[in-house]
Amino acid sequence: MDDIDRELECLQDSDDDSDISAKGRKKPRLSLGNPMPGETSRETGFHQSTRVCLEHIREAMLHHRWQEAAEYMAFYPQVLEDLDEGSTPKYKEIIWRLSTEILHHHPNSTLEDYNNIYERMKHAGVKHYLMISLEHAFHLLLHGHIEDAKLQFSACGSWRYGNNVAHYQATKLIQAYRSLLDYVTWCDKKHTHSYTVDQDDSVSREMSKYFRHASANLKEIVKYPGVWDPFILSYVEMLEFYEDYDTALKVLNDYAYDNSFPPNPNAHVYLYQYLKRRDASKKRLAKVLKILRALVPSHELMLEYSSLLLQSEKITDVHKALGIVLDMLDFACWRNNLDVWKRLKAVIQQLQCTEENWKTLVLDTMSGRKDWWPVLHFTSFHASKDSVNPELMEVKASLKRVLCPDTLLKYTAEGGTSTEWTLGGKRKH
Amino acid sequence: MDYKFPDQLFPSFYERGPPDKVLNHCAGNWGSYDKLTIQDDSGSRSNWTFTSRHQVKGETWRHTEPVPLPLLSPLNEFLWPTKPPNPLDFMDHMQNFFLDHRHDAFGCMSQILGENFNFTQGTKEKRHKDSISMWRVTRYLDGLSFKKCRLRDRSVPLNRYSALLGDVVHAIPPQLLGSLLYEELAEQGERLLFSEAATGGALEFIPFSHNGDGYLVYPGNQGLNRLKFHRVELQRHRGSHSVLRSSSSDSFSFHLNGPIRQISSASLFNNSCVAVRSDYLCGVWRFSGGGEQPRLLQAVNTTEVATCVTASPHVLGEVLVASESGVVNLWTVGRGMQKVRGEDGNLYFNAESPWRWCDFSAHPRVMVYADRTGAELTDIRVSPVSARSLFSISRSSDCHRGERLVLSRYLRDVHSFHHLVTTQFSSYIVDERFPGVPVLKWDHMMESPPLFCHVLPGSASSGSVVGGAGTTKVVLGSQRSQELVLLQYSGGGATACSSRGPPLALLRPSTSLKHLPVQIPHRLDVATHRLSSSAAGLTCVQRTGGEGVEDECICVLQLTEAGDVFYQILEPQQQQIHIPDVEPQPMPSKPVASSSPSSQLFTENDVIGTTQKERQTFADSDESEDGGQRRRRLKQLKLQVVVNQPDEDEDDDDDDDEDDDPGTQEKDGEQSDSTEKEALCSSMSVVNISEDALVTWKRWLQKLMKKSRKKKKKPRPPGSQLFTADTEGFLRLRRKETREDKHVRSLRRDLRTCMSKRSLLAFSAPTLQPLPQAVDTDTWTDPLSRRLTISWQGEAAWRAWWEEELGLNRAEKEMALRRKRTREKERKRAAGRLELSGSFTSSTTYQAELDSFSDSAGWTSGSQCAWSDTDGLEDTVGGITPVPTTTVSPLKTVEGEYEPQTPSRSHDVSVSQTPSRSHDVSVSQTPNRSRDVSVSQTPSRSHDVSVWQTPNRSRNVSVSQTPSRSRDVSVSQTPNRSCDVSVSQMNDTPAARRASVRPAEGDHTSVLASQVKPLLSHHNVVEDNSGVRSPQSVSQQSVPQRDVRVNLSLDSAVWSGFFQSRPLSQSSRGHVGLSQSSQSSQAKKKKPRMGF
Repeated sequence: MDDIDRELECLQDSDDDSDISAKGRKKPRLSLGNPMPGETSRETGFHQSTRVCLEHIREAMLHHRWQEAAEYMAFYPQVLEDLDEGSTPKYKEIIWRLSTEILHHHPNSTLEDYNNIYERMKHAGVKHYLMISLEHAFHLLLHGHIEDAKLQFSACGSWRYGNNVAHYQATKLIQAYRSLLDYVTWCDKKHTHSYTVDQDDSVSREMSKYFRHASANLKEIVKYPGVWDPFILSYVEMLEFYEDYDTALKVLNDYAYDNSFPPNPNAHVYLYQYLKRRDASKKRLAKVLKILRALVPSHELMLEYSSLLLQSEKITDVHKALGIVLDMLDFACWRNNLDVWKRLKAVIQQLQCTEENWKTLVLDTMSGRKDWWPVLHFTSFHASKDSVNPELMEVKASLKRVLCPDTLLKYTAEGGTSTEWTLGGKRKH
Repeated sequence: MDYKFPDQLFPSFYERGPPDKVLNHCAGNWGSYDKLTIQDDSGSRSNWTFTSRHQVKGETWRHTEPVPLPLLSPLNEFLWPTKPPNPLDFMDHMQNFFLDHRHDAFGCMSQILGENFNFTQGTKEKRHKDSISMWRVTRYLDGLSFKKCRLRDRSVPLNRYSALLGDVVHAIPPQLLGSLLYEELAEQGERLLFSEAATGGALEFIPFSHNGDGYLVYPGNQGLNRLKFHRVELQRHRGSHSVLRSSSSDSFSFHLNGPIRQISSASLFNNSCVAVRSDYLCGVWRFSGGGEQPRLLQAVNTTEVATCVTASPHVLGEVLVASESGVVNLWTVGRGMQKVRGEDGNLYFNAESPWRWCDFSAHPRVMVYADRTGAELTDIRVSPVSARSLFSISRSSDCHRGERLVLSRYLRDVHSFHHLVTTQFSSYIVDERFPGVPVLKWDHMMESPPLFCHVLPGSASSGSVVGGAGTTKVVLGSQRSQELVLLQYSGGGATACSSRGPPLALLRPSTSLKHLPVQIPHRLDVATHRLSSSAAGLTCVQRTGGEGVEDECICVLQLTEAGDVFYQILEPQQQQIHIPDVEPQPMPSKPVASSSPSSQLFTENDVIGTTQKERQTFADSDESEDGGQRRRRLKQLKLQVVVNQPDEDEDDDDDDDEDDDPGTQEKDGEQSDSTEKEALCSSMSVVNISEDALVTWKRWLQKLMKKSRKKKKKPRPPGSQLFTADTEGFLRLRRKETREDKHVRSLRRDLRTCMSKRSLLAFSAPTLQPLPQAVDTDTWTDPLSRRLTISWQGEAAWRAWWEEELGLNRAEKEMALRRKRTREKERKRAAGRLELSGSFTSSTTYQAELDSFSDSAGWTSGSQCAWSDTDGLEDTVGGITPVPTTTVSPLKTVEGEYEPQTPSRSHDVSVSQTPSRSHDVSVSQTPNRSRDVSVSQTPSRSHDVSVWQTPNRSRNVSVSQTPSRSRDVSVSQTPNRSCDVSVSQMNDTPAARRASVRPAEGDHTSVLASQVKPLLSHHNVVEDNSGVRSPQSVSQQSVPQRDVRVNLSLDSAVWSGFFQSRPLSQSSRGHVGLSQSSQSSQAKKKKPRMGF
């Protein structure tokens, strides 16, 4: 990760590009800004006019003057006549991006225009073929042309040009999306299938065909580190349908626990949901949630986790549940949530039942929080705000005595209007 | 619902390692959808919805004005170089230092050495005995301020002294000073381009309530060291746009010990806490409620340069302070600092940057620690800090090479788990529950890195316009280029984040002058300079619509380093677009759709290849390039221009083509046209500047000008470039003083008179340069020269010369000579008699007529100036002397209507009339070449006419030739009257005639009018007299001039031509024309001469 030399070198590069004009000036350490093509010494009139045209288009687009941008855009493709081989792919990408964006916002654009642009730019150069194909298919999908998109995907599925990472990834993505569309068809078939009373073999055969198509590619893509939520969901659903639980579990486990994957909370959620569907043991569920808790202590599944722990009757688990709920209440989004406060109350009540020195236990857990929790939850301002929700206020008020017994802050509704205000826990009164 | 995490995230590859993508184009991620997710809506069949990570449509917000408005009047004159200094200029700076602060630069040594040098001549004995006389060196040094030849002008003693003392006289060694200065200049240049100290921005708005009322906190003075709390309110006026008003009374200010770099604020339950960062100082103010005076809670000095201060959104009074040493402190106000994290190096790789940043996160005890390489979540409760990577410049964030983190911001109220991270190229939304992989990425398309940002939560009402929840708006601001960009995104809760619409560039103050009325250049300079100072902060005021969409608006405020605050107001685009009444002319007979050139132009011939028709459109648009230009200009001129309007010439061209389609298009054309137009309007968003805005700007600019005038600092006077001898006084005339006095006096008097008459005062024409001496070929007497001269006239002349030279034509010549003599004799006799008598008679009749006028004519005082300027012959004017010269006669023949006999060559201009009823005439002619000269007024009341004529009137041939060449004649003709009459008689123009009927002023007019011509013609004639030219050409030239004159005098309702103290001129047009023409005529005259 710390490839310093490379980083520095590239910094040098970009600097060289950006300020040729500034002679003798010490170069800024930070390469600034976007690489707008600047004036160069070898610039011909043709280059200059296309450059100025591009600037105008960009300016118009940034100010959302689409009409004007379209007017300029009509002339910009001339840039493709540039004989400089090196820069043509760049121009092609620029033309494609600009014209597509203009079409997105131009009032007179039609699907034909889009197809025109996509097709032409796709075939104008091999370098961007896959990327533009993918975008083209996305466009068709977003506009409801699923069949056309499928054709697009299959057309570029056999593309073999290019061996760099971007091409490779694009190929994989195209295959994955194609499988996703297979899954869509599969779902539709399943849906019709479930309504038809008689078990039609041909339908199920077709379904399994789609499943095979889809699973081949999906299996492939989920091996690569990445975020594959939609693919995982569809794959697991199909595997479950065909009762291939082991594979499903393996896929989900890999997705959640492979270290090369990013720490995606959804991976754990999917695993948890799957296990829950499969009626796994509470211990197993708790294990999944425990790992999720380490990642995202504020996740809403933590409520389920705490209730799981409460059910276990073990004192350590109750203790854990207390920590979980207190952690949740640290976060801004849960502070006014009645459920969490109720859960906290339940946990403490359970502690009271089972433990004798529950007070010290609670205070131990609270020790790290005692200097900022009161101002986070129990000021008179909170009280006045919570007073619209009396149930919450009641729960909080009862807990305040337990959690922060020695605080001098007033948590009462009346105090809310007074101007008393404490600084960072500095105690007044 | 912030606690919800999206069910599905957009698919993406996850890679580690340093980024290797190179950004090579400027189109950003325009036009791409990024990735898709799929969702089964209802479980029913074929009801799949696809969502793209980049959604095409966002909310449409439009400006209410095309320019940002200044919020406060300009308080100070702030001059700061807008161009980065060139470090190589350090020599100049050192030179300036040596000159301006010589006592500092050479003080010590000069005191020591001073005794031994004697710089004044001849005082050696007074000084130290051994002192060295330096006066010669001094004199040499005095001359150094001029540019001279360094090689030739040398001072040997100076060179020796400089070799001897060069390295000791400096208080600071120049090498050291030079390198330090170079470094400083280089750093200043860098800082001007990008100053990381300003990260975060020094402008905050702290609302009291949701209706757009609150404190604006900013540094409000030149040094940016006065913290101001200024109460502002976003007001809404029914029927018009919202405006931001600042109340003059409710403002508090605090003086700090350094420039304010960043202001961060946090509000909880109506209590607000404002943390302020200066370089070595941080302070925290607080106030509660609406309008309470802010109080300083605590201020601390830091040992290292503080780079970040952030007030906690969780617990009021907690502030995070990061410094360049890499240490982040949690400062609990009132309790002191607690070090929470320290790093010596950068986080992920060595970016060689001491810049550190810190912010809070969703957990009150987890904070974000950031530097140029990335950001980490740090739990400060555990003592060896546990950190998780939130964002890093790496492939996992899809970064580019050279990309660096510029700003990180916790989004607080917008989404409690989201952080905004910006780099030079992109901005990212990072969810701290899924750290390491940004959930959203935009390319913000800004030219310089965004240092300021403000994030506005989406409001439900604005969302209802688009459908769904409102979008969250991110406003990014850059420093140097003042750019502002508005980005939108939605999601983050139950659904994944997706960006909405393309980035929208907002207005910048530096471009606003384009939309304002034109300024005169030096004001434009001041204003441009002022408006283009770097931005120093950014904030937004949002008013969420209480009563629907109409009430909603966003006000974006921008602070510049000059201490000015500009604001622009955005309103959501109404669904019903009000189209201004300027409809395109309804042209039902003409097809509309076919002529929406551009749209079709683009869609049809998108990229490659053009069909026949398209080519035609191309050609047309090429032809109508001017039209397009004009249209754009009109747009700028606030005229609503509808693009769809067909070009008429285009119709002519395309008649054939269009005949096919109109039938079909005509009908649906109108409907589609209207809808299309609406859409176009929405996209074009042409906003006109309102009156109020214009007034605001006008006032602001006026105040700015006043300030800048008051405190104008003169730059160092540029040293004179060349050594010049002092020539002043060499060519001065002795009487200059008195004449000038006199001149001024007369001018004053004239001015007074003119004012009382409410007429124009004429000024003199620019002086004409005397032409160089003409080549006089007659002086060359040798045969060769003569032959050569003659040969210029053509072959015939040359042959004739030869013939004469050789005596071939002798007999012929004798005959001719004889014939000529006899003819001349006859003519002389006849002509002399006739003309003399004629001139006399005519002049007397004029006199008689004039006399009959004199009473009613109401003569006013005034002096008529000499027309001395015409032709640049100061002499010209023959006074009132009627000059019926013989030379006039050829003129007679040419332009018969001018009655060349006019004795009244009254052009003589220099006739002045005293206010007194008497007929005094003073004709004065100054010897000197300037025009004014001839203006004088006779002090005497007598009947005398004084005519001063310069003795050396070289061209005065005309005068001398007049038969009545005595002054008596002129006297007897009694000045102007005679002119009048004569003129009116001689001149045939209707105006003159009319004038002659009417007494009083009318007469003057006519006189004036008619005077012109004779004057000119006379001149030319006079000139002719000198023998060179043909009169015809001259008189012809003079004709147009005359016309000009006539028109001119007729135009001016009350023309007091007689009062013109200076050459008739004023109403400069005529005058200029006159002088020009005379010049040109002269030039023409010269030409042939040269040719000879």
